[in-house]
Amino acid sequence: MLPATAAALAVLAALLAWPVPALLGRARWPRRDPLAALVCWQAIGLAGGLSIIGALLVHGLAPWGHSLPEATWHVLTGEPATGEVRGDHWVTLTLAGALAAELLGVLALSWWRTARTRRRHRALLEVVVRPAAAVPDARLLDTPAPVAFCIPGARPLLVLSAGMVAELDDAQLAAVVAHERAHLREHHHLYLLPFVAWEAALPVLPAAARAHAAVRTLVEMRADDVALAAVPGPDPRRTLARAIVAAGASGGGGVPTGALAAGGGAVTARVRRLLGPAAPLPPAVRAAVLAAAGLLLAVPTALLLLPAVA
Amino acid sequence: MASLGDLERVVMDHLWSADGPLAATDLRDALADRGLALTTVHTVLGRLQQKGFVTHDEARPRRFRPTAGRAEHAAGLMHEVLGQAADRQAVLARFVGSVDAEEAALLRRLLDGPAPGVGSPPPA
Repeated sequence: MLPATAAALAVLAALLAWPVPALLGRARWPRRDPLAALVCWQAIGLAGGLSIIGALLVHGLAPWGHSLPEATWHVLTGEPATGEVRGDHWVTLTLAGALAAELLGVLALSWWRTARTRRRHRALLEVVVRPAAAVPDARLLDTPAPVAFCIPGARPLLVLSAGMVAELDDAQLAAVVAHERAHLREHHHLYLLPFVAWEAALPVLPAAARAHAAVRTLVEMRADDVALAAVPGPDPRRTLARAIVAAGASGGGGVPTGALAAGGGAVTARVRRLLGPAAPLPPAVRAAVLAAAGLLLAVPTALLLLPAVA
Repeated sequence: MASLGDLERVVMDHLWSADGPLAATDLRDALADRGLALTTVHTVLGRLQQKGFVTHDEARPRRFRPTAGRAEHAAGLMHEVLGQAADRQAVLARFVGSVDAEEAALLRRLLDGPAPGVGSPPPA
């Protein structure tokens, strides 16, 4: 029987489903170190899934052995249960299977649909865009709204609108391009993928939506940070902030409202952060944050693999 | 050998700059420097038609023309890629945000404000 392990995993799952994301979502340090915060969010997502499915599995398999590996082995080799198998064991096993299938299935579906949408967008865009004279790896879209975006993938496409080129000076344009290149180089779409999928899979869990919004803002902040190194001029931060405001505050200019998912609040946070930067996290704090993220993954893994503590 | 994607763009450039509808042979002749076979031109036109960029009349031979100008297609595509119905994940990384008028005014004040690092206290 593994009641203590199952209970510990359930407590961890509950913490990761509500208070931990709420705390991290409200914390002020992530904007000082978006990359470390992104690592934390990934760890929370992974550890949360692992502990809730693990808790159900451990409870359900308790009659078959003293640890999850042992019980799994007994079930697979067809050995009879040593303890009494009750209804609740079957219920938790079914729930574990259903939840695992939903989380992984939605992740795979989201991946596939996204890849298909990107292929289609790229195929259509490639007919219309023109090479951008000023930026060799960018393409120009002939539309007056000031937008820039990239379509990630094996053959990424970095698109600037004619309106964006007209609205910005050379340094600001370089800042925008550096921001988009940072997204592509660091594969930010992969950081977002699980959160997009799990928000769709768990609409009842407010933490899923909060995590998605936080990760979306953090990848923008991270791209801002990376871009700063490539922005010319005496005041890169102000240059990038001006570019953000020009794109975001141009009164719409025909930008579809659906594009505003990142929301005004996130735009303002980015601009404030650029203009009044807080000191980066001290190395010791950063190391502690990363260690906590590692621990978050290690604890449920250990609980699942080690023999029961009870 | 240029990819089909490149050829699609070149063919559309020709159709967009032409005075009227063009037959496939006109396009082959216009692109003579690329040495395209007529079947290749038809393949490219077929793909463009499938994507909704060109349409043809019922004359013999068929003559092809763009369904809309480059700017219309560009605007339509921007709406499709960034729009409400778009898969939010597909084009995750966009340099687009939107702020309401009040926030825009606040941001402009911030931009015109003191040098970075001085003042501009973080929001509560």
